[in-house]
Amino acid sequence: MRRRLRSFGGLLRNVRVLLPFIVLIAIWWGIKSGFGVSDRLLVAPPAVWSSFVTLVSHGILAEYASTSLQLIGIAALVSFAAGVPIGFAVGANRYAARSLEGFLRFFQGISGIAWLPLAILWFGFTHTTTLAIVIYTLIVPIIFNTMVGVRAIPENYVLALRSLGASRLRIVRDVYLPGALPSIVVGTRLGMGYGWRALIASEMLVRQGGLGDLIFGARTFNQIDRIMVGMIVIGCLYIVVDRLLVQPVETMTLARWGVLRR
Amino acid sequence: MAAMGASGEKITVSGFRHYFRTDGGRVQATGLVDLAIQPGEFVTLVGPSGCGKTTLLKAIAGFITPSEGTILCDGRPVRGPGRDRGVVFQELAILPWRTVRRNIGHGLEIARVPKAERERQVARLIDLMGLAGFEDRYPHELSGGMKQRVAVARTWAAEPEIILMDEPFAAVDAMTRLTLQEELARLCATTRKTVFFITHSVEEAVFLADRVLVMTRRPGTIKAELVVPRHGTGGRDWDSFTADAEMRGIAEQVMHLVHAERVG
Amino acid sequence: MKAERIIWRLLPLVPAMIVLATWSVYWAIAQPPPSVMPSVAAVIRTFGELVMGDRLGNDIVASMARLLGGVAFGVVTGMIAGFVAGLNKPIAEFVNPLVVFFNAISGIVWLPLVIGWLGIGSPLAIFLIWNTVFFIVYQNTVLGVQLVPEVLEHGIRTLGANRWETVWSVTLPGALPYILSGIRSGLGFGWRALIAAELVGATTGLGQLIFSGSEYHRADIIICGCLIIGAIATAMDRCLLLPIERRTVQRWGLVAPDRSR
Repeated sequence: MRRRLRSFGGLLRNVRVLLPFIVLIAIWWGIKSGFGVSDRLLVAPPAVWSSFVTLVSHGILAEYASTSLQLIGIAALVSFAAGVPIGFAVGANRYAARSLEGFLRFFQGISGIAWLPLAILWFGFTHTTTLAIVIYTLIVPIIFNTMVGVRAIPENYVLALRSLGASRLRIVRDVYLPGALPSIVVGTRLGMGYGWRALIASEMLVRQGGLGDLIFGARTFNQIDRIMVGMIVIGCLYIVVDRLLVQPVETMTLARWGVLRR
Repeated sequence: MAAMGASGEKITVSGFRHYFRTDGGRVQATGLVDLAIQPGEFVTLVGPSGCGKTTLLKAIAGFITPSEGTILCDGRPVRGPGRDRGVVFQELAILPWRTVRRNIGHGLEIARVPKAERERQVARLIDLMGLAGFEDRYPHELSGGMKQRVAVARTWAAEPEIILMDEPFAAVDAMTRLTLQEELARLCATTRKTVFFITHSVEEAVFLADRVLVMTRRPGTIKAELVVPRHGTGGRDWDSFTADAEMRGIAEQVMHLVHAERVG
Repeated sequence: MKAERIIWRLLPLVPAMIVLATWSVYWAIAQPPPSVMPSVAAVIRTFGELVMGDRLGNDIVASMARLLGGVAFGVVTGMIAGFVAGLNKPIAEFVNPLVVFFNAISGIVWLPLVIGWLGIGSPLAIFLIWNTVFFIVYQNTVLGVQLVPEVLEHGIRTLGANRWETVWSVTLPGALPYILSGIRSGLGFGWRALIAAELVGATTGLGQLIFSGSEYHRADIIICGCLIIGAIATAMDRCLLLPIERRTVQRWGLVAPDRSR
């Protein structure tokens, strides 16, 4: 009996999520046919669906999507692997933090996309360009937030552990790493938001594959249906990555440790 | 001129004086301080705010290097913090991302005590500190008083040579504070430890101590020392303490000495 | 110690100095072509030229105008929508999945579609910025409104205020920390959307300046452009948002939730 109730509750939740979209699609369809909007401006839901089916069955969507995911994946790994240690090193030293804080903030204001033309001059129209830009976009918030996270750790924690006889390494492991984690996670989430957009923008210019290339290329041939499929896929992928990967880590750390941030 | 610790003294402070450097020049944090703490005694230091008692404690703990003078622990000079001098802070210093159990056991973990032994010790302290039922909670789920119990338990578990306590109960509400004081008294009666406890509450200082030291106002020096006799082997409790005329007398004396520092 | 004070003051300049030093040394040794890496002197010279010339002024004005337009639109619509939803739980809940989805594709992703509707130029840029800012400000406003302690609103109602007065004197200031946080985030994302939009679909503006730099293989123009972008972004944050925050949120002792940084 309980299981049936629980699955019913789950069903209700899914309907709640889907209903607004169904309404939106209905409105969309209504506008399209009701006002006789030209196909060059807007395309009806069925056309988008059939385009989606075509792209999937020919493996085109999979190819473009996997390129994007691979690029963001590599960029995320590199940014994380380099950014967190650098952020730690800088955060642990008062002088380093003071000198780099303004510098990093300044560069956070120069979005990765602004450097795209320079990257194209250096690396040409290649994946390297896109990777360079996305890594830059990701790494700055990660370093900055790691640094902030480390510096926010109350000195007492470190002193307390030293009075328990802990070595330097111990303190890094037991205090600095867990203590800075919430801030690192926030920085990663922000970075991913910026990075994903930088990725799409870069793919639009570099035109070597990826979802940005897909939707920009479709513009050349006025394939509105393709553009819309691409947009929807981009949105869904981002949500999946965010909800399935980043958010759980965030909830896990914050819920466990209480609100640690200032 | 190196000071020789008299044999057996736990802590020897000789010729200690400390300054801070600011834009305006030197600020004296403490006056000249000499003191000795014997093994097994509970020494409290009471004085007005700003007199330098926290500075003295930090120097003994090894968090700061004295501008003048020497500090010896078991005859050896103090160089930086270490296992031998445990510290209980006023503000929260237990780790928010560890459960009560893992916080208390942290010192033992660092000392590489084997798991079984560690768990045994942790369980004993959880019992002693009245934390049963909260072992697997995180600090943010606990009240202020509970958090300080965990802090005390953690320091106790590590079994340092001396335990330094920096106004540990100042941030806790008045009712809980009385309970914690009694618990601490009971804990010390059960587990013979050497404790150096600073506070600006006269009652607390007298209640907990074997010996009360009174500090002058800034720059502080130790102006008086009173012995608080113990009757019986158990820890003191507030009921009998307040009823005891001798205790009240000592408390009044200390109060008088401390208040004299507040004039002017 | 005086010396320590001076050093502390100068520290923030150190990274820039290191960058300039490394750059100059590399340039002197490797002698790269100007299209790949210009000398520091060349960049400074170009900067002077740009400032003297009239192109830069026009570009900055064009970019700023678009940004202002898009952000203003986004903030106003976002706040209005946010208030309506924040005060009406059923509406907020119904719309939420849509908001999450559209936030995920906000900004540059709309470019290929909208370029067919609005062509290249300012309307496109403004749309993309509006799109970006709207969803962020909306979400933060809804959250801020919902988190205003009910007791504050009840208190004012018992003094005789009606719905509008309550919203104006309690809900709005109460939600302000979150709203400002949202505006700050929105500005960060919106600024990026602007540059991206101008790179691809404009004839004037800072983004276009940088893009033309790459077309003519002028790395010095690109670098100048980027540095100017950074300076403007920093200035906006420092001179615009921080003071506003200070005089409202911080003065009232409300904590601004730092959800963006």
